[in-house]
Amino acid sequence: MSVASEPDPDRLTYTQEELLASGSYAEPLIANDIRCHGGFVEDGSYRSPRTLHRTPAIAAWKRRLSSEGHELIDIPRALMPPQYPNVEQAKLLLQSGVREPIVRALTIISIVEGFGAMIRDVRVPKLDELFVGGIDGTALAHLRTGLFEAHARDESGFEDEGGHKQMWEAARDEALENPKIPGDVLMRIMGRRQKREKTGPLFPEIDPKLERMLGFMAQVMVVEVFAEGTFDWGIQLLSDSTVSANAEAAGAMVSHIQKDEKPHVEYLRTALSEARARTIRTVDGKEIEGKIVVDEFLHRILHAMTRERQRDQREDLRASLVDAMQVAANPKALLEEFDSLDADWNPPADTGFVSTRGSQAA
Amino acid sequence: MNLATRARRSAKVGWTAGSVWLSYKVPAWLRQLSGRPKRTNAELSARHEKTAQRILALALDMRGVMIKMCQALATRSDVFPPEFITHLKQCHDAVPPKPFDVIREVVERELGKPMDAVFSEFEPEPLASASLAQVHRARLVDGREVAVKVQYPDIEDIIRTDLANMRRVCQIYEFFDRQPLELLPLLTELTSHIGFELDFRREAEFGRRVRELFESDDQVKIPESYPEFSSERLLVMELISGIKITDKEAIEAAGLDPVDVVQDLMHVYVRMILAAGFFQADPHPGNLFVTEEGKIIVLDFGLSKELPEGFGLGLFELMFSLMTFNETAMLRAFDELGFRSKTGDSSTFLLIARRMVSRSNSGSFEGEFTEDMTDELFDAIREDPIAEVPSDFVLVSRVFALLSGIAHTLGSRANVLAAMSGN
Repeated sequence: MSVASEPDPDRLTYTQEELLASGSYAEPLIANDIRCHGGFVEDGSYRSPRTLHRTPAIAAWKRRLSSEGHELIDIPRALMPPQYPNVEQAKLLLQSGVREPIVRALTIISIVEGFGAMIRDVRVPKLDELFVGGIDGTALAHLRTGLFEAHARDESGFEDEGGHKQMWEAARDEALENPKIPGDVLMRIMGRRQKREKTGPLFPEIDPKLERMLGFMAQVMVVEVFAEGTFDWGIQLLSDSTVSANAEAAGAMVSHIQKDEKPHVEYLRTALSEARARTIRTVDGKEIEGKIVVDEFLHRILHAMTRERQRDQREDLRASLVDAMQVAANPKALLEEFDSLDADWNPPADTGFVSTRGSQAA
Repeated sequence: MNLATRARRSAKVGWTAGSVWLSYKVPAWLRQLSGRPKRTNAELSARHEKTAQRILALALDMRGVMIKMCQALATRSDVFPPEFITHLKQCHDAVPPKPFDVIREVVERELGKPMDAVFSEFEPEPLASASLAQVHRARLVDGREVAVKVQYPDIEDIIRTDLANMRRVCQIYEFFDRQPLELLPLLTELTSHIGFELDFRREAEFGRRVRELFESDDQVKIPESYPEFSSERLLVMELISGIKITDKEAIEAAGLDPVDVVQDLMHVYVRMILAAGFFQADPHPGNLFVTEEGKIIVLDFGLSKELPEGFGLGLFELMFSLMTFNETAMLRAFDELGFRSKTGDSSTFLLIARRMVSRSNSGSFEGEFTEDMTDELFDAIREDPIAEVPSDFVLVSRVFALLSGIAHTLGSRANVLAAMSGN
């Protein structure tokens, strides 16, 4: 089957080669002298990599889900914690000569994007046997045969073609003119360790590999959804010529990344919604609704990411921002102005998903 | 140390070194003269085996720096063949202890007062004995249980003599051999390491820094040292006990998940090596324990290392490029880490990287330096005369390989990138 064939909007089954196919570009995307993925088509617009068949495939799986009467998972935008520092605060820092926190933030984003490569190592169990009724013609059936691999390649690059890691680095270097990278970025990434709940599996009755896979996918999906705020922040900040040396190129680079990320959110939403709509066979021959499992993970992840983790990260960040401000002419005045640009945020009381197990049941 | 002892030590080292050198060279010359082919790999391996045993016997007889040297050689799989590594690493546990009278004398001299003025109990049988010191369990007069590390008397003299002997042997060897193994740089490195290891205040300082690094992490326990009772030759530390890190049965019996234990252990080492740039470089199972509550205990900061600025990021970029098969980025990372090619042809490093990755279970790099991969890396480097490898990289690879061995014993994987990302 040719990878360059015209996509059929109703097809539900694809090969790995097809899901990884990009088609041809009129012009490649070059960032920091590195050939990156994706490129520009005849009309000059940017087309994301590996979307020739992946985009119509995801659309077809979604339509099928809807036609079967099931809904798509939706993470309410109100749950998305605001960026800290926000765009105005970040601009103020840069205009005051406090560049290090922004360089650090952009570098950390690039490294974290790179970690997306690890999604290819997720162990996928025999889903056909674990879901009642099988999974033919679904996104779930294509996780191991193309979707995870495409996601990994998009985030971290593949062979000599850069991915989002290199694109974020390029945006940072264009905007801030090849800044010196702070030596503590890896320490900041490792950050404050979350206390592990020593409770064993949440669903001991299901295949442990399936539990791990669904938990990981839910985590990645929430991160991807929340990353929308990071992209908006990056575009607004780096496109502003008062703080960005090459506003046009830097802003465009982040908007390309934002465009590339859409299929990630969509395939994860679709596959998790398919799992949620199905029934899972338990290890002792019984059955459990997929909705119970998926919603439990989503509730727990959203609860943690909008409360303790968000609070801890903000506290750590604020301490390092105050330190960094000491290079400004008047640190005290800068801190006051910085704080005046902040906005209060409280997470909604409800995550929108029902938990039925453990201490965080809601 | 008197002149006779010094002469005897010099003679032993000289005799062994000369015999070892001749045992390789004479058969090679005879074969050359008689037109016979070179020794086969099996014949060479048998020779390595005998030589390694001979060096080990000399080290155990002479102790001191000879043991230290063997331990150092055992960490350089990039230079020495596997037979040497297998035998010489026995030096880690094969050192007989010194009598208690000798130890008491050192303790009292260093404290400047009788032992019972500081300790209410002091066990004469050591918990462990190593090349430079031995460790005893004791109790302070205020009731605190402690581990007391006592340096052997005269060890500095012995070391000075042995290092001078070895330097002479290396110089003679390099003079006579047309293609010598570059032993002098290794010896210089060893000399500097031993200098650090002989000063227990430095070990205490490293321990303090690591303790501070994990201050807010309640999953890690680093023993506190007590400077008021310690000196250059005496180190008094908090005594912490736990389950040996490789004892899977006991870990499970304590209700802990071995996979979590590996994850925590990896977090500790990745944080030290990649993020902080200083680390305890001796993660053998005798130095790593886990408490009943699942806290990781790291002991013995004698072999600790400070990495150059940017090393962590460089190593991260190398792992990342290996994972994404990005050869341009791989070359850049090799260069940033200090790899050099004597001919200027950097493609040799790509070949080395490909060989290493080919030994992973999946055929791709997933973030773990397994023992197989590290062995392959060191084989490739040893067989390639044009590659110069930074010693920091060798040490860090060895540490990750040791951790991988522990992880596999516990039925898990030592994934460096996963530990960093928190997955």
